[in-house]
Amino acid sequence: MTVDMSVKVGNLELRNPVMTASGTFASGREFAEFVDLSHLGAIVTKGVSLNAWSGNASPRIAETSSGMLNSIGLQNPGVEAFIERDLAYLADVDVPVVVNVSGHSLAEYVALVERLDDHPQVNAFEINISCPNVDAGGMAFGTSCVPAAQITEACRAATMKPLIVKLSPNVTDIVEIALAVEAAGADAVSLINTLLGMAIDADTFKPKLARVVGGLSGPAIKPVALRMVWQVSNAVSVPVIGMGGIMTAEDAVEFMLAGASAVSVGTANFVDPTATMRVADGLSEFCRARGIARVSELTGALNTD
Amino acid sequence: MSCAHDTAEPRRVLEGVSVLSNERVTEGVGLLVLRAPHVASTVRPGQFVHLRIARGRDFVLRRPFSVHRVRGESIEILYQVLGTGTREMSLLEPGAVCDLVGPLGAGWIVPEGLAHALIVTGGLGAAPLGMLAEQLAASGAAVTVAMGAPTAERLVARGLYEDVARVVDVATDDGSAGVHGFVTALSERLLGEHQFDVVYCCGPEAMQRIVAAQAAVAGVACQVSLERLMACGIGACLSCVVSTHSGLKRACVDGPVFNAEEVLWDSSEIPPKH
Repeated sequence: MTVDMSVKVGNLELRNPVMTASGTFASGREFAEFVDLSHLGAIVTKGVSLNAWSGNASPRIAETSSGMLNSIGLQNPGVEAFIERDLAYLADVDVPVVVNVSGHSLAEYVALVERLDDHPQVNAFEINISCPNVDAGGMAFGTSCVPAAQITEACRAATMKPLIVKLSPNVTDIVEIALAVEAAGADAVSLINTLLGMAIDADTFKPKLARVVGGLSGPAIKPVALRMVWQVSNAVSVPVIGMGGIMTAEDAVEFMLAGASAVSVGTANFVDPTATMRVADGLSEFCRARGIARVSELTGALNTD
Repeated sequence: MSCAHDTAEPRRVLEGVSVLSNERVTEGVGLLVLRAPHVASTVRPGQFVHLRIARGRDFVLRRPFSVHRVRGESIEILYQVLGTGTREMSLLEPGAVCDLVGPLGAGWIVPEGLAHALIVTGGLGAAPLGMLAEQLAASGAAVTVAMGAPTAERLVARGLYEDVARVVDVATDDGSAGVHGFVTALSERLLGEHQFDVVYCCGPEAMQRIVAAQAAVAGVACQVSLERLMACGIGACLSCVVSTHSGLKRACVDGPVFNAEEVLWDSSEIPPKH
């Protein structure tokens, strides 16, 4: 049997549920030798900002038990270079493109969305209000309801394209943030961004990251991510894109059972540049082996009896 | 500087490899020989492979290693046991299978008409220059080598360099071989005595910085190979940045080999032992 792998995330139609987590896949070009980019559900680009950001001091990563910390800090050349290099490259690739946008202020988010809104290669926006690695803006907008809703509402007014809001797990109650951005006009929510963490070198008494703290990703965070996807998908009516430590197709199945309509592969891309294809193929095989006709049937099919 | 490279970069792949041998070279240093036909047939001097040494909770990320030499379908990796990853690596036995991503990165550039090259190595910095020395000698260029290490035993790959170079001068921290002191004393003297077309250097970053300054004074182009903590190895994650006069570059794709005059030498970027 052929499994129908297509899914819908709001108005965004994807060939399959496997997307790339922002910041782990650049804009796809680096992975083109390993992955047929047109076989992805969507490419979610690395975070772009209005002006160039230089990111944080090195070291920027540390390996941890079943995971890694990063404090890259959204280094990017700014939106004009992004349009010239990345979107120009993606013009020749048949894949939906979700542009992850960041700003230091509400005005920067809006200006960025407005700048990109009429670009034909941009199929949707992911509003990053959850990066733990920048001082101004970033996660500060995503950890309380009022600024999260304000950013969402302002971006909503700036575009008719699908608007995904990426949520931070570094909050007391992720459900109230999800409800706030839904009410403010988000078409979907994606979660989770990294968990704020740190690593210390006992030999030198020094932090392993120059910024001291950074975002934890990888298999270590999967149980937290699954819990949050489950809580949020039970509370909101917009689709949920689930991510956090997905390394295998089985991990992706678990996120869909918890309520995700689509999933993103992140840290796994660093370990295995073909990870997205392994997950997509494995997801199809999982369904075929169980007689599941449409992969979307997995969404929210968790049996809690 | 003109570039004698082919224009097409070798194709990067995820390649399943097997361990042919893994032997102790000296205290804390091993030589891993892997059967890796794709990398062996395409790798250029100075490029690296991103090796998945082991699986499990302590080994989430790959580790980058320069290719020391190629023999037929096999590649040789000279490594120092420094942390959990390389300790696990030292336990790999013949027949073990793992995988790597490679060949990666921008390697050494050989200027057209190169007649005489100076190779300067410090410790394990001898590893990424082995293949280059062999190819330069095979092409008829004269190769002079200055090697430094803590002790005579740690002058790894000395045999390779003695086979292909016109002169191999050595320095050791304890005086157990050659000059008692640092390799930078040798490079300074050699740069004063001979006319080189290019200096190729790899070793501790502080040593590379000194050699780069010596080459600049002598008016000789210098290339260095820099090490950074790396996650993806293919240019996506921006973990391995190097500060240069033209902004932040990625050690994994813009390097690991850089023109020394480009590098800003930010010591905070030097990776901790891993």
